[in-house]
This record gives sequence, structure tokens and C-alpha cells, in this order.
Amino acid sequence: MWLFALPALLINICIILVPAVLTFTAAFFIWDGVGTPMWAGLANFQNMVADPVFWSALTNNFIWTAIFLTVPVCLALVMAAALLMAPKARIVVQSIIFLPRIIAVAVTGRIFQGMIFSPATGIVAWLNEHGFSISDPLADPDRSLYAVAAVDIWHWWGFLAVVFLSAMRQISVDQIEAARLDGAGFFALFRHVLIPGIRPTLTLMLILTVIWSFQVFEFIFIVTRGGPAYGSEVLATFAYRHAFFEGDVGQAAAAACVMSLFGLCATAVYLWLQITDDAQST
Amino acid sequence: MTMTRRQLVASIPAAALAAGLPRGATAQDGRKVVTFWFGQANSDGQAALRNDLVEAFNASQDKYLLQLEVKGAAVNNLLKVALVAGNGPDIVQTAGPAYLTAIANAGQVLPLDDFAEKYKWKDRFLAPLLNTSVYGGKLYALPRDYESMHLFYNKELFKQNGWKLPTNRKEMEEVADAALAKGIIPFGAGNADWKGVNEWLMTVFFNNVAGPDNVRKALAGELPWTAPPFVEAVELSKAWYNKGYFGKNYFSLTIEQSFLQVVNSKAAMAFSGTWSFGTKSYGMSKPDTVMDVMPTPTLGSAFSGSLVHLACGATLSIAKTSQNAEGAAAVFEFMLTRKFYETMNRDWPGKWALPVKDLPPDMLQGIGYPLFEKTIANLHEAFSKGQYGFTTWTFWPGATNSYLIEGIEQVWLNKITPDAYLTRMQTLFSQEAKEGKVPPLPPRTA
Repeated sequence: MWLFALPALLINICIILVPAVLTFTAAFFIWDGVGTPMWAGLANFQNMVADPVFWSALTNNFIWTAIFLTVPVCLALVMAAALLMAPKARIVVQSIIFLPRIIAVAVTGRIFQGMIFSPATGIVAWLNEHGFSISDPLADPDRSLYAVAAVDIWHWWGFLAVVFLSAMRQISVDQIEAARLDGAGFFALFRHVLIPGIRPTLTLMLILTVIWSFQVFEFIFIVTRGGPAYGSEVLATFAYRHAFFEGDVGQAAAAACVMSLFGLCATAVYLWLQITDDAQST
Repeated sequence: MTMTRRQLVASIPAAALAAGLPRGATAQDGRKVVTFWFGQANSDGQAALRNDLVEAFNASQDKYLLQLEVKGAAVNNLLKVALVAGNGPDIVQTAGPAYLTAIANAGQVLPLDDFAEKYKWKDRFLAPLLNTSVYGGKLYALPRDYESMHLFYNKELFKQNGWKLPTNRKEMEEVADAALAKGIIPFGAGNADWKGVNEWLMTVFFNNVAGPDNVRKALAGELPWTAPPFVEAVELSKAWYNKGYFGKNYFSLTIEQSFLQVVNSKAAMAFSGTWSFGTKSYGMSKPDTVMDVMPTPTLGSAFSGSLVHLACGATLSIAKTSQNAEGAAAVFEFMLTRKFYETMNRDWPGKWALPVKDLPPDMLQGIGYPLFEKTIANLHEAFSKGQYGFTTWTFWPGATNSYLIEGIEQVWLNKITPDAYLTRMQTLFSQEAKEGKVPPLPPRTA
């Protein structure tokens, strides 16, 4: 039996486990990326904890996680349920809401930066010219994280909706019809039939959202590079800056370890839920 | 020599093969390949690189074949990884001495002293720039250009409003306030696409407020960054930002958008670098009726007059693992020819202004770009005499410079005080100085 898993296991060891172990090891060294690494013990972790930017980045990761566990998930659930009830509109609407997902992240980022938020060339500029005093949210350290999150939500929620719709379509039609005959309205159906019916998919997407939220990088790097004034800094941009601008690979590796720690916690929760489900079903 | 269509078609596979050849390889015609990675280049720049460097070099001799790859903005990161893995290009171009330091300290590039003796490079290059690449008595790179921050201004706007060119802080603020009163942005500036704009401005504030001698002392470890002249410099930058001198949209405008504000009379002035001459879309024509440029005046009491800032935007080295070091050196020597200097500066002004004594700026008089000619001539003279300030991207070590760029936003947006900013900078600088990461400092004269 184990022989069947061997090829996949070997590939994973080579391209996942070895780099992961090397990254973990690098966190205990001072290394500029080209010279000879020097043992540092826990110094990289101590420096990281003493750096206020690290705490600000970590806080931003938690805020990001909270946003993505709620806003796109709620939007996607409601849209999926609506599409389930309206099969004729399904193909057209699915195509439209899925579209942002297939546009390259860099393109989406630039569109929002230059054509929507920009006070020179964007919708914000047009609104200002027509009497609405609106400033670019990307230029405000207190709003930039939320502005980038809005871009990512636009890119993400349609995909989630399609996934939830696929899961909802697996629910027995008889069960939905029975609920309707019992007088259940849209929200009662949603709460008592659809949500419980897609619980495994919902749980998986929520867990993955936590993992992805602690790895978020592309949109923030493209749109704000973590600024202004570290306003949208997250652990990944913190690590990138240390590795590639400051020549401090050890510090970057320490930040990467923290990112992985949250991913591991989320994975552990998922495995525990799976085991609990298996135990209940047997 | 003209080629027939058949010869041209037949040469395409050979050219494609040569373009994909690994380092140390030999091309089909027996020439040894020299590989060179370049970072960002606009379309004009890429055409200039192909025509004036690659094709001209390859046509100049029959021993070596130069192969160029434009790698984009991530070239510095790619280069480090490739060098550690032993797969980098033969010619190692970095973004300046501050980037070279780590690579040279790690022994990833060859000392060039033998080639320097053979080609008399030490006699030919301007000493202040060449010395920024000397570590432990050995030369590890050649400077590719000289740069400086300058004050670009809309001379039409100045004329229309009767503004005089400022010679000190008071006069500068008078012009800025007059511009603000008329709804004109005093300084066109924006960092939406490149946070390094922050350090362009801070180079001006540190040098032109605190004075170049104090900056040199701080870089030499003889004066802390928390000293009063630097506090004054940071406080002035904050005061100007908060007064709106850099406009309301500093964090939202790209470099190009902000510079065009000056060209289009929406802004009066801009602190920008000599590289600006190479961007045609900035609208500076040859010769120019709208724009003009001058060295940045003093903004403090540390000195009077104006100041240029010593910068090297790129260094050229040879990889330790290069199997064709002679070929790479031959490319360098080709770059020092008069023909290359003239064609490259004509086609891509500001990018390849080699700081070489026997390539004086008056050679550029024929290219028909008076603003560029006068600026380079001024730089050549000031650098030759040792009269300059110090740019952050050339002399500040990596982590300190990164914090200089990121942290100043916290000061301008009232998240931290100037004292807290400078204290953190001093902590990082002390650590990097202890680790030998501060690039070599050239002497300067008053």
C-alpha cells in the first residue's frame, strides 16, 4: 500500500519538506543571502518581537483573516443560494462573478490602483471633479489595508460562490422541496437546509481562508507594498522586505515560521474536525 | 555589409541558439559567450541596449559574443540567488555600491585589479566614484554612471509669476508658499510606483539641511544620526510634507504623473535625479522651452550655495564563477570608447554617463540636449573637485536605507516622532557598521 504513496511522498519531501526545514533552520542564522550564515540562536525571533512593525503586521493579518472569514463568505453563500433557486440565471451570473478570478492578480491590482482609487486617473478623481471630496484610501495608513482587502474580496468572492453553489447542488432536491412544502422561506431554507448541507465544504473553505490569510502577499505587494507608513504591512511583506531589501534572510525566515505556525494551527483544527466527523458517522 | 533575405533567415536560428547559450559556452561562430543581465529598461532603453551595446560590441571584434537578458525589476534578487547557486551571468550589474557591498564581501565577484592595470582603469575613472567599489584594497566593480538629485523647475511658470530661483531655504519657502497660494503644487512628487522616491527626498533633506560634512561624519560613525542637524533635516521634511509642499496625493501618484505636473504647470518644481533625462515621456524636449534644472540650493545653515549629490546608480563586476572574465572585461573596455559613450547618451541620456576622465561631458555637445549637457558637465566638475553630498542609495547600508525609506512615511503621517525615527536608524546603522556593511566613503572637499 505504502508503495503507491511513495512517488507523491518523495516529491513532497523534496519540494516541500526540505525547503521548509531549510527555512526553519535559516531562522536561527544571520545571513545576508550571499555570504556565510552565522549562528544567531533566538536573536532573529527576539529582534522580531522587539520590532513594532512585526506586531502591526501580525495584527493586520488577524484583521485580514476576520474580514475574509466574514465578508466574502457571506456574499458568496447568499449568491450561491440565490443561484440555486434561479437556475436560468445561473450560467450567465456564474460567468460574470467568476471573471475576476481569472484576471491576473497584477492586472487586477493595477486596475484598482490606477482606474478606481487614483486621484489622478481613477473614479476617485472623477468624483472629486464632480463635487465629492473623496481621498484615495490606498494613501491613508488607517484605510489602506481595508482598501486592498476590498480589491481581493472582489477577486475572491465569486470563486467562493461557485464552490458553494456546486456543494449546494449536491443537496437532495427532495429535502429542499420538503422544506418549502413545510413553509420555509429563503432565509429559513438557507439556515436550516443549505448551510448544514454544505457544512464540510464550508468548513474546508473557512480553514483554507485562515491559511491563505496568513500567507496573503500579492495584492498587498502590488497595490501598496505594505504602506503607507506600514499601514497595510502583513507578515509576508514584512518577510519579503527583510529578505530582499534589507539583506536579512534570517529575520525573514523567522517571520515565515510565524506565518506557518498559524497555518499549522488551522490545519490541525481541520484534521480534528474531520476525525470528529468520522467518529460521529461510524 | 548588407545581408540577403536568405542569409537573414538562416541567421535567425543561430541568433536564437546564441541567445540561449549558457555561461562559458561557445557560439556557433567560435566566439566565447559573455552573459549580462539587465534590470528595468523602457522601450527606448532596450533598443539602445541592443543597438549601441550588444550589436556594436559584437560587431567590434571576433573573440566574444555578448548576450543580454533584460530581467525586470526583480533582477537584484535573482542575481543574489543565481550567484550563490553559481549560475549568475558573467557581468554582474548591481544597483550601486550599497548593493555591491554584500556581494563583494561574500566573494561572489572577482577583484578587477589585474584588468584595471591592463586597461588603466584606475587612471581613467573619477576617483570618488571608483573608490566606492574598493574593499580591502581591492577593486571589485566599475561605476556605470554618475547621478545626482537636482531641482527641476518649470521656467515658464517662474517667469509668469515673477518668481526668482531660490538660493536658500527662506527663498525656497517663499516660492513654495506663493505657488500654494495660487493653487500650484510647489514640488511635484509621488511614490505610488516606487517607494524609493522617499529616499530621493531624504537625500536632499539630509545633505542640504544637515550639510554634507555632517552626513559624511555620520556615515563614518563619527556623529550619531540622532544629532541635532539630522533632527532639523527630518523635522523640515515633515513640516514641508504637512504644509502640502508635495501635494495632497504623494502616496497616490506615480513618478511619471508627478513629474508631468511640473511639465504641465500644475507644479512648480521637482526634486528628481539625473536619470529623469532618459525618460522621453517626461516631456523634456531638446532643447527645452518649458523645463530647466539646477543643483539643489542649501536648505540649512551648514553651507551656502548649492550642492550636487554623489551617486552611482549601477556598478559592473565580473562573477567569481565566470568562465569568460576576459570577455567581460573586454565589454567594459568597449563601454569606455568614445563612440559608445556618444551613441548611448544620445539614445538613452542619463543612464550610461560613464564617470571617465577621458570621456569629458563636452563630448555630449553634439547630442543636442542642452539641459542634460549642462547637468553632466556640472556633475563632472563637482565630482572631480570632491564637492558633493552623499546619496542614500549609494552610501547607506541595506537595512538602514530600507528603514530610511519606510520609516519616514511614519514621520510624515504623524505615526512616530523624528527623534524615534532617527533613534531606530542609528540602531540599525550601528549594527550594520559593526558588520562591515557600510560602503566605502570617498573624501570630500569644501
